[in-house]
Amino acid sequence: MQDYVQQPDSLSAMPPPPPVQGEATTSIMATNLTKIYNGVTVLNIPSLSIHSAEGFGLVGNNGAGKTTFFRLILDLIEATTGVIEIDGQKVARHDEWKSKVGSFLDEGFLIDFLTPEEYFAFTARIYKKSEGDLATFLETMSDFFNGEIIGSGKLIRDLSKGNQKKTGIAAALLGDPQILILDEPFTALDPTSQIRLKRMLNDFKTTRNMTMLISSHDLNHVTEVCDRIVVLEKGVVVRDIHTSENTLKELESYFAV
Amino acid sequence: MYKILFQHYLLKGFRSPGYYKNLIVNIFVGIMMLYFLALFLLIGFMLPKMLREIAPESNPSEIFHGIMLYGWFGILMIRYLMQPLNRLNIEHYQALPIKRSIITNYLILKPLLNPANYLMLCLTIPFAIKGITPELGAFAGFRFVGITIFIIWFNSMLAPFLKRKYHNLLIGSIALLIIGGGLAALEYFKIFSVFELSQHLFRFLVTTPFVWILAVTPCIVAFLLNKLFFSQNFYPEKFERKRKNKAVTQRFTFMERFGTIGELISLNIKLVLRHKRTKSTLYTALFVLAYGLIFYPNPVYNNQPAWLLFIAIFLSGTGMLIFGQWIINWDGAHFDYLMTRNIDTRTYIRSNYTLLMALCVASFILTSPYFFFGQKIIINHMVAFLYNAGVNSYVYLFSASFNTKRLELTRGSSMNMQGVSYKNFIVMIPLLGIPIILVAFFGIFKASNIALIILGALGFVGILCREPLLRMTERQFLRRKYALCAGFRKHE
Repeated sequence: MQDYVQQPDSLSAMPPPPPVQGEATTSIMATNLTKIYNGVTVLNIPSLSIHSAEGFGLVGNNGAGKTTFFRLILDLIEATTGVIEIDGQKVARHDEWKSKVGSFLDEGFLIDFLTPEEYFAFTARIYKKSEGDLATFLETMSDFFNGEIIGSGKLIRDLSKGNQKKTGIAAALLGDPQILILDEPFTALDPTSQIRLKRMLNDFKTTRNMTMLISSHDLNHVTEVCDRIVVLEKGVVVRDIHTSENTLKELESYFAV
Repeated sequence: MYKILFQHYLLKGFRSPGYYKNLIVNIFVGIMMLYFLALFLLIGFMLPKMLREIAPESNPSEIFHGIMLYGWFGILMIRYLMQPLNRLNIEHYQALPIKRSIITNYLILKPLLNPANYLMLCLTIPFAIKGITPELGAFAGFRFVGITIFIIWFNSMLAPFLKRKYHNLLIGSIALLIIGGGLAALEYFKIFSVFELSQHLFRFLVTTPFVWILAVTPCIVAFLLNKLFFSQNFYPEKFERKRKNKAVTQRFTFMERFGTIGELISLNIKLVLRHKRTKSTLYTALFVLAYGLIFYPNPVYNNQPAWLLFIAIFLSGTGMLIFGQWIINWDGAHFDYLMTRNIDTRTYIRSNYTLLMALCVASFILTSPYFFFGQKIIINHMVAFLYNAGVNSYVYLFSASFNTKRLELTRGSSMNMQGVSYKNFIVMIPLLGIPIILVAFFGIFKASNIALIILGALGFVGILCREPLLRMTERQFLRRKYALCAGFRKHE
């Protein structure tokens, strides 16, 4: 999705809905979404839309349904009711969205018997990137990798948890996604890497208009990266806040029970 | 303390999440065990009579004593190759105040409590009763059984020691093969006879009271060797993990020409080469290719059309039949990755299909030397190839979506049933059952050729109808996608 305000011409081909000045187009749309496991409702979202170029932070205690929501967006589990659409196209059992979304949730998103180089090369070829593109991309990641991933001579399964996470996050970014979905990206990273990752994400958001969905237990990090915070509790949206200087306090007081 | 450790060992078995779910597979394994048990008992009872018929000039006990050293060596070799190393997660216990010696003793002695190791007794006890006792007396029979128990102990402790100490299985097995072959050669050229040595040794041990107890010495030596090894290498990283070689980035430039399908196939090739379980299966598959040498020259099998076709299907499709049962499942560990990247379902299914086909064609070509066994074999192989390529490939692809168990590929051993479910056995019905029944049925009317024509035609039609059949498989895969995702996320 192009940003409407910056490039009004590009949308002229299709008649655009008259947007209010400054409001972006919808990127991800969830309607009547529920997920029920063995009679227990783990997620219940009547309606939620995420706009393009929005930094969407998802917070909540364990079992609140954060990962479930992400897996539903990525079509890894089936919704009990309701639909998720990306750019107006249904996600469930479709492939079109896959070229637009980059994601890293857990080690299932890694191919652990490859070296990081092979893993990036494989991902790059799937996204039809040339070797030059890949080299440029890895160059931009060199700070984040801190010299420990490329040329380490290890298979991904032998990397430390933190380096595995960095590898997965980088691969999620490799396909130039319009939407980025990361589950707990800051855990297992060392403090320097956490700060670098935050800087990198903020950078991508402004330069590439990337929509970002990030879940985190760390209220500090998530408020620094996201301009909208949604709090989930037992599968229900209980807060939906636009980030301001008061947000962190508000969240802290909410969770300090 | 030992009691607690053994309790943990038992609990680990019973509480592993796969245990109850895998009940049917366990029952199957149990039936196989009972079968071997019965077979061994039968052989044990029949052996004296058989040996008398083969070599009427000497006593059964003499012959048996003669082959005992060879038997010992053979079993040691099998154990070295197949016996999984006993991995108490000793890191869990190292942190606790438990004496080292207790942990190492436990590690060394545990195999002695495994009933499967005593399977040999099912052969030797009947032999002691029928072959030794009538000739040398009941006490000799008793000593004979005692000595076999010592040999079992010796082997059960020596094999893991060799395995830990010389963990390169390939070189180790070659060394053992050379030793075994060397001894056999010495025997053959009548330079030195292990057979006679073994005969005299065991004859002496079995017939002399009290001295036979000394046969326990090798066990003690093996035990002490193990102790020595563990005293030098207590930390598991020293002996349980392979020395980490520097991982080399590989690239199959040839495959890159085929786009995403080529990429996915080279990914699967790397998967096979970089996991223990798939790699050992690859060796097994190469070994299986040679099975035809046992069956084809033998006139007993040669005149049974159903049996001949069974061998043909199995041989000419070895690669596909062995690896095909894991297709899609072996992607379990990175399934979420594959499902969220820019790979559409069509491409994913097609890459798996192409891989199956490549395996099928490769096996067919590798088994083409069997064509020298005659026209009948050629026809059977052709029909089998058509059936494998046109029917069995779809059966595998279609049924792969039903097995939602995640394959653990890092644990390798020859009898590893992890990730196998009763569904794998059901697949066998169309895979092998239908062709065999068809051929056997027409065989009654002496017209098994008609069955071959039907099967070949089925395969041919299957190859022609590739597009609609693959689309059907795609739809099936999409229906089962979420069940697969959920299943693969569960570790066992």
